[in-house]
Amino acid sequence: MIKADRWIGLLLALFSLYVCIESVRLGLGTFQQPGPGFLPFSAGATLGVLSLALISLAHFGRTEKREAWQNPGHVLMVFLALLGFTLLVEWLGFILSAFLLVCFLLKIVEGRGWGFSVGVAMVVAGASYVIFDVWLRAQLPAGFLAS
Amino acid sequence: MEAIEGLLYGLSLALTLKNLAFVFAGVFLGTLVGVLPGIGPAAAISLLLPATFHADPISSMIMLCGLYYGTMYGGSTTSILANIPGEAASIVTCFDGYQMARQGRAGPALGIAAFGSFFAGTIAVVGLMFLAPTLASFALKFGSPEYFSLMVMAMTLVTYLSQGSVLKGLMMAALGLTLSAVGLDPVTSTLRFTYETLVLRDGVGIVPVVMGLFGVSEVLLNVGKTMNREILQSTIKGLFPNRQDWRDSSLPIVRGSMLGFVLGIIPGLGTIIPTFLSYGLEKRLSRHPEKFGTGAIEGVAAPESCNNAAATANFVPMLSLGIPANPIMAILLGALTVYGLQPGPLLITEHSDLFWGVIASMYLANIMLLVLNLPLIPLWVQILKIPYTILYPLILLFTLIGSYSLNNNLGDVIVMCLFGGVGFLMKKFRFEPAPLVLALVLGPMLEDNLRQALLISGGSFATFFTRPLSAAFLIVSLVTLLLPLLKLRPAEQLLQHED
Repeated sequence: MIKADRWIGLLLALFSLYVCIESVRLGLGTFQQPGPGFLPFSAGATLGVLSLALISLAHFGRTEKREAWQNPGHVLMVFLALLGFTLLVEWLGFILSAFLLVCFLLKIVEGRGWGFSVGVAMVVAGASYVIFDVWLRAQLPAGFLAS
Repeated sequence: MEAIEGLLYGLSLALTLKNLAFVFAGVFLGTLVGVLPGIGPAAAISLLLPATFHADPISSMIMLCGLYYGTMYGGSTTSILANIPGEAASIVTCFDGYQMARQGRAGPALGIAAFGSFFAGTIAVVGLMFLAPTLASFALKFGSPEYFSLMVMAMTLVTYLSQGSVLKGLMMAALGLTLSAVGLDPVTSTLRFTYETLVLRDGVGIVPVVMGLFGVSEVLLNVGKTMNREILQSTIKGLFPNRQDWRDSSLPIVRGSMLGFVLGIIPGLGTIIPTFLSYGLEKRLSRHPEKFGTGAIEGVAAPESCNNAAATANFVPMLSLGIPANPIMAILLGALTVYGLQPGPLLITEHSDLFWGVIASMYLANIMLLVLNLPLIPLWVQILKIPYTILYPLILLFTLIGSYSLNNNLGDVIVMCLFGGVGFLMKKFRFEPAPLVLALVLGPMLEDNLRQALLISGGSFATFFTRPLSAAFLIVSLVTLLLPLLKLRPAEQLLQHED
């Protein structure tokens, strides 16, 4: 167990409480004819009990030191880049979004040179468009360029 | 006799030019994925899945299956040459494979890994060919209670056998079951936890979840690490092991293959634990156990054979019962559903073309992998030299494209990104993703069988305990849940021991 398990346990316990309340609203049915809320209620209740067990074990039991996170800033930037791509792709279109994503990861996150980052991003965006959209017919978003 | 007829029928399907091309594409990509650290078979299969939507199910399954056991072959290359397991099942290969490479014997290490994998893969396909239909016809006698109990057993086994805390594993299984309830209730058509969003109407998609948990999270974990990928030998000479090498390796290959096949059938054991057991067994049986860890060829031959046999054996419960042994099988099970096929005991009889086509393709794939692998090692070495800083933007872009192409819907991309973040945090806080994935896949079937069993029994839970087979499955589940109290955890003990 690690110290953070108390908070994770609490978070999951609250989530399970919400699941149980929502399941009751959906209808538990009877044992003879279980309703749509029967399984989520059972799973939610199990999760709740286990979360409480985790909290108590983390609180009263022996806890280990959590390993140190390496480059948390890099990880966050990569994750935000993914979300950014998701938000922009329908508006900017696939080619431009892919170019920006790869360029951002290489230049900003990895600190590569401008020439290298732009060059690789152009090749990757173009090649992936040809492979996935043209060849494999994936119908990637065209964005404002299409109009 | 029936099996031979089936195999001949399968060969007639697999030996067409189109399907041979699919086998080749699968094993080639699989080897590439195996060679490259930072992307595993689960993420690779999820990535490739949308690309198979335009092909017929047999060809698609042939390619996806080829990709899976291709990774087992490829994983050894990185373990031996760079001391980094290209694939988790090749962790053990690092112990002696890398030492052999340091002594200038990378060639025989790569050679014995390839020959051992070929032998094990072929033996395991024979086992799969005979065992899966037998098990499927036996499972036809199962009713809803047996199915429900079997799924409970599969989930508890996966939880027990995964690394880390059993409590956390059980929590992930419960979370997976909760997530599996999202979407349309099949009995009453009530929408559950959908919040009026279209993407959740069909439930939480298994493929975006797996892509997030195993693909994106892996990248996020590796971005945060400094990877030292030093390749010992760029030019590999003497790939054929000498006579002494063969003498030392032949029995370990046979034992590794047998052990891998038997253990690979059990849900939850996957391919990693059997390799540790195989290594431990060889060390115990060896006259020179002190040589293990210093470049003993048996330490490469046995686990490499074992992981290939286990990878093939993983197909036994998936194809015969519709029970995935690990997250990769869960994706393949999901793929079958996407292709409009119903996984379960009837799959082999109702879609014999798919079953026998895949079996025949496995024989061909093993030959292809042996022929392909050794001459292509210089190519894999060059690929290994590509820095991870260039590779991971590509991996991320492909996961984004893959998740979007599933339904041409951004909702799947969002699900994938969210589960990527969740997967990263889960690994940091030592929660295993495998029980969550398995519960997510089995959830709908489990619910369906539970409701049917209760309906038929008039609401009596005794039906699960009075039917012998169902009771047996539940007893195994109970024992599995109680074992951690006795501190008997094979996965954890093995990993700690070998650390």
